[in-house]
Amino acid sequence: MKTKAHTTRWILFAVLCVVFVITYLPIFTIIANSFRSEAEIMAKGFFDSVYTLDTYKKLLSNSEFVGYLKNSLLISVVSAFANICISAFAGYAVSRFKNRLVNGYSNLLLLLQMFPLILCAVPLFIVFRSVNLMNSYTSIIILYTATSLPFTTWMFRGYFDEIPEEIEQAAWIDGCGRFKSFLKVVLPLSGPGMASVSIYCFLQGWNEFFLANIFLMDNAKRTLPVGISMFINQYSRDYGRLSCAAVLAMIPTFIFFLVGQKYIVGGAISGSVKG
Amino acid sequence: MKVQRSLAGRKRDYMLSMGFLLPSVILIGFVNLYPVITGILYSLKDGNIVNTGNFVGLQNYQSVITSSRFWNAMGFSLLFSLVTIIGSYLIGLALALILNKDVPGRGFFRAAFIIPWVIPTIVSVSAWRWLINDQGSLINVLLGYLNIGPIMFLADPAWARVTVCIIKIWISYPFVLISLLASLQSIGTEMYESARLDTSSGAKLFRYITLPHLKPTSIILVILLTVWSFNDFGLIYLLTGGGPDMATENMVYLAYLYPFKYNKIGPGSAIAVITLILLMILAYIMMKMRRSEE
Repeated sequence: MKTKAHTTRWILFAVLCVVFVITYLPIFTIIANSFRSEAEIMAKGFFDSVYTLDTYKKLLSNSEFVGYLKNSLLISVVSAFANICISAFAGYAVSRFKNRLVNGYSNLLLLLQMFPLILCAVPLFIVFRSVNLMNSYTSIIILYTATSLPFTTWMFRGYFDEIPEEIEQAAWIDGCGRFKSFLKVVLPLSGPGMASVSIYCFLQGWNEFFLANIFLMDNAKRTLPVGISMFINQYSRDYGRLSCAAVLAMIPTFIFFLVGQKYIVGGAISGSVKG
Repeated sequence: MKVQRSLAGRKRDYMLSMGFLLPSVILIGFVNLYPVITGILYSLKDGNIVNTGNFVGLQNYQSVITSSRFWNAMGFSLLFSLVTIIGSYLIGLALALILNKDVPGRGFFRAAFIIPWVIPTIVSVSAWRWLINDQGSLINVLLGYLNIGPIMFLADPAWARVTVCIIKIWISYPFVLISLLASLQSIGTEMYESARLDTSSGAKLFRYITLPHLKPTSIILVILLTVWSFNDFGLIYLLTGGGPDMATENMVYLAYLYPFKYNKIGPGSAIAVITLILLMILAYIMMKMRRSEE
């Protein structure tokens, strides 16, 4: 009986290993290609190639590419910060004030997740054009802040629900209002929540393609995903360069997700299951 | 001790709740509500991005639903979502059941399997493209050892559809896995222990305890996967550009082409509105299934 359970464990382990290899095949090959020269990617196998940092050096001294990196970083950081400032308040309202207005609004946010962005993209394009905000960081930051907002509001709501109101009541007795008790009691207790909301927003901005592709047409303003997609057209045969850019684009995702995945996934699930 | 809140206090709370929501309402109003309403109006107009034109009634809807290109896109949208949901749900469920057991390397696998879901679409596409692009690509070389192929994954219409679906499953299964695993871990062991008094069949335990417990999460997952795959633009734009020969063109992609390529906002907005209505109907049916469970 015991040995049977033991065998099952290792069979399951083998299944996981197979799924792992299949899942990571594209990721491993692109990482390997980023260290090989273009000629070797075309002509040689993985085992008889020379692996160097040459492509990375070339790419990181290319001002166009470094520009994409900087744009992505700036846009993702600012929109994550703006998002937290807005969604923390909204999440608190949804968690604490149970009136019709608040409930209606939180259901509306859930519904908005469903809307095809393309429906909003055309009117927003026309508005931003008329106020001369096309090709500006401002326009894309506003868009990213808003598109993450429904989800992050629900994430915050989940975290605030875990903090009992009794803790705030002590502050009310001392003469604080809701606003103060929120800022001085609730927010400091939701560090992990804020961290995961900011990671979530940062990655949304870092990964997003559709809106950036429409609203940033000036090459100097382009973000990394759009910049890399230009690589596909421009240097269609240069897989070394493309792989290298893709690996650099993947790094923050890897770091953040391995550090913060526990919180983000928890938030995502409590948000969706409660909905 | 419960702090009593007076009527005036509650009224103040009401005002305060609006204050807390105000920034969010303004932003959502500007970026979502205003454009949705305007977008619906555009679906009734005949203009372009520069000049939105005049109202033409339901003409755009009429021309859209009588075009075969629209039905082709709708067919692919439905096929794409259906295949993605089934594929990623089954893989995610199987892996969640395995990872819920005491398997070696559990923590590592759980973290590792998330990655396809969180990396940028452009990275996934670049990585996959190299594997499948042409006759000499890695997958075709591997298939060659088995005397299969070479397969033209992106040039053959039927294979292009299969490829897009497989990559979407690869992107989506991690989310299913993580959500179902969390749900599995919330089943108390007492439930199984007491059930084991009645039966020793693992299949019965699965059928009568595990599956019903997973149902609410599963319905939410199916709704989310439907919405996400219906609204997927990046994967299709970057991998196939809707081709070959419109084989992988979905509704959202077609709705993008009208305003930004053919310079007509009417038909594009009409397709977006139809997509929205379709999604709302699907979500409504699924929510109803969920309610009837409770």
